[in-house]
Amino acid sequence: MIRRSFFTLTKLRLDYDLVEPDTKEPESIPIPSNLILLLNEPIDSTKIAIIKTGDTVKKGEKLRLYNESYEYTISPVSGTISEIDTYSDDFGNNSTYFIIKNDLNQAGGADTLKYDLKDGIASADEFLRTLPGAPPLKTLASDDIKIKTIVINCGDTDLLSTTSQYVTLNFLDEIKQGAKLLKKITNVPKLCITIPENLNIQGEFDSIQVFKTSMKYPSNLPAMVLKKHLNLVLPPGHTPEDLGVCFISAEAVASLAKAYKTKSPCFEKILTIIDKQGTRYRVKATIGTSLQKIFKTFSIHVNEQDRIIIGGPMKGFATYTPVHPVQPDMDTVIIQDRDVIPELSDTPCVNCGKCIRICPANIPVNVLVRYLEADQYEEAADRYDLESCIECGLCAYVCTAKIPLFQYIRLGKHELLKLKADV
Amino acid sequence: MNKYKLTVSHAPFWHDGDSLFKMNLNIMIAALPAVIFGVIQFGAPAVGVLALSLSSAMVWELILNVISRNKITIGDLDSAVIGLLFGMMLPATSPWWLVITGTFVSVVIGKMIFGGIGANPFNPALIGMAFLILSWKIFFDFDAAYLNYEFGFTALAPLAALKAKGALAVAGLFPVKDLIMGRQVGAIGCTFGLGLIIGGIYLILRGYIRWEITISFILGIIITSFCFNIAKPDVYAGPMLHLFSGYTLLGAFFLATENSSSPVNTIPMFIYGFFAAAMIILMRNIGAYPDGTILAILLANLVNPLMDKIRPKAWGKGVNNA
Repeated sequence: MIRRSFFTLTKLRLDYDLVEPDTKEPESIPIPSNLILLLNEPIDSTKIAIIKTGDTVKKGEKLRLYNESYEYTISPVSGTISEIDTYSDDFGNNSTYFIIKNDLNQAGGADTLKYDLKDGIASADEFLRTLPGAPPLKTLASDDIKIKTIVINCGDTDLLSTTSQYVTLNFLDEIKQGAKLLKKITNVPKLCITIPENLNIQGEFDSIQVFKTSMKYPSNLPAMVLKKHLNLVLPPGHTPEDLGVCFISAEAVASLAKAYKTKSPCFEKILTIIDKQGTRYRVKATIGTSLQKIFKTFSIHVNEQDRIIIGGPMKGFATYTPVHPVQPDMDTVIIQDRDVIPELSDTPCVNCGKCIRICPANIPVNVLVRYLEADQYEEAADRYDLESCIECGLCAYVCTAKIPLFQYIRLGKHELLKLKADV
Repeated sequence: MNKYKLTVSHAPFWHDGDSLFKMNLNIMIAALPAVIFGVIQFGAPAVGVLALSLSSAMVWELILNVISRNKITIGDLDSAVIGLLFGMMLPATSPWWLVITGTFVSVVIGKMIFGGIGANPFNPALIGMAFLILSWKIFFDFDAAYLNYEFGFTALAPLAALKAKGALAVAGLFPVKDLIMGRQVGAIGCTFGLGLIIGGIYLILRGYIRWEITISFILGIIITSFCFNIAKPDVYAGPMLHLFSGYTLLGAFFLATENSSSPVNTIPMFIYGFFAAAMIILMRNIGAYPDGTILAILLANLVNPLMDKIRPKAWGKGVNNA
């Protein structure tokens, strides 16, 4: 954990971690006997599911709940479905999880389904949504959203994480091919790539605009890239997609290139595990592998009341189970010892002004939090810029009163959406 | 599925390690040079006043916590800071009941009835002081308070002398060096200018007070008093006397910078500090009180919410490109 320095006359500065210069080959985790897959669609008991427990699936087969389902996931192994149930995330949104029993008798790889991939975004969207890196194909293929610019993000969006930089250094050719492919299949006129300024990249990107991003957090967040490099300011309550800009991770671009080359999906996700001592382990694991399995490989012990953070220390989320599966968009997993978990408090804001100084989006956090504490979400959005928040988490990081500011803001936005939906 | 329970909470999972306890402890540490000097200069009575002030302020909060059946909050040391600053503003010879009444008004009326820490619209210590000054003016006549003391310097309260006799008469009585080094008559914690400056700079460097307020406050004192001085040098004293006497430096570093009653945006911070300082000089030069610091800062506290409306536009607000 980065503590405040003794002298803090100057503004606090948090830097992204730079990938280590001699990157080692990631440790491959063998495919486990049971895999867990998450599907972003809740179980609807009024409909008849087209898959059920006991069904056999092939490696690369699309799994959908209902005939009319738009969401799907891809099975990374051949085997049988042993469980289908509901998974709830931290905001109470329901989705579905499958447990697939890996059929070890069949030799993996040989019978992978081949996809009939055509040079169109619809075709890619049909099969490749769950590629490592989670390419936003749904957004790109959507008729409602007009994407004019694609930004390939080679920097990591959160602190400690170095996965994206590692992928960029080691799969540069694939990324270049993937970028060309993206341009071909999407017909998006403008393609940009963000590269951390300290990352030593050899070679040129032809016809791609390169943005060098600063090492200072939160310069890699989409809203910051939009503002600094594309000169676009996100209007409150809008996403980059509303402005016609779509962000895609470096790993997603590389895996798109691989998938198009082999006409089959890939399931090996590269991720970084950071243990309690801060040691980094680079891992290559099949999507669906439970985190516990990875921890066992490196003899990392997770004890009662420790915290498993998925994503990063500023923007990630804490999981309630060590059997959480590896997800396509999971870059970093951090294990935090229970002794170093900072406590939160219900002390009211004392108006010290540290959040105001650090907020990159000029939000009056000190006033905003008073409205959020009183559940005045509409007022908070209208007068105190709730929706301008770019969700970097810096205010809660510096809060002297230890108020969970970021949580208040996320909750406020969530409730506001609900209020708007009700109207 | 789980054999054990993990800690689950919302991001961020890091914190810079700061806390209210640390902040208030640092403010008290920063006040120490001036406090220790005051104790050496005024002796045991000063210790008595400070100890009673600090402890009674904490006891008042404790009592209020118990009565209102809330969580005990004295652990954040906010009342301790109020008590300490309050004691520093008293003459060393203050009677015990004066101290206890003052801390009662400060903590209970100034802070707790508004909802405790962070909710006070005024600086609590100043509320208590304003109450005492208006009610028992006689105890704040520093010349009378230290009648039985033997000092090795001009035993006249600079601002009272200035008020009574005018700048020409007091010229030469109070060399700036004496004022800075604490060779002047005044409240326990307010005579040692150098100590207050060292403490204040420590707080600014640690980031516990907002330097914009302090700097604009000091500039306000200097500019306003300089203007008066230029106009009528016989009547109005120069900036140095104003800056290093009375409650001015305590105000600049410890009172005006009180968190919840001062602005947080950059421009308002400058206006607030300058406004409070200008009011002080106005009160000293044309008002009825020899030292207007307390009422002037309270006045600035009053307009703080209005000033703090001046703030930069948040991202995407007021831009019609959606």
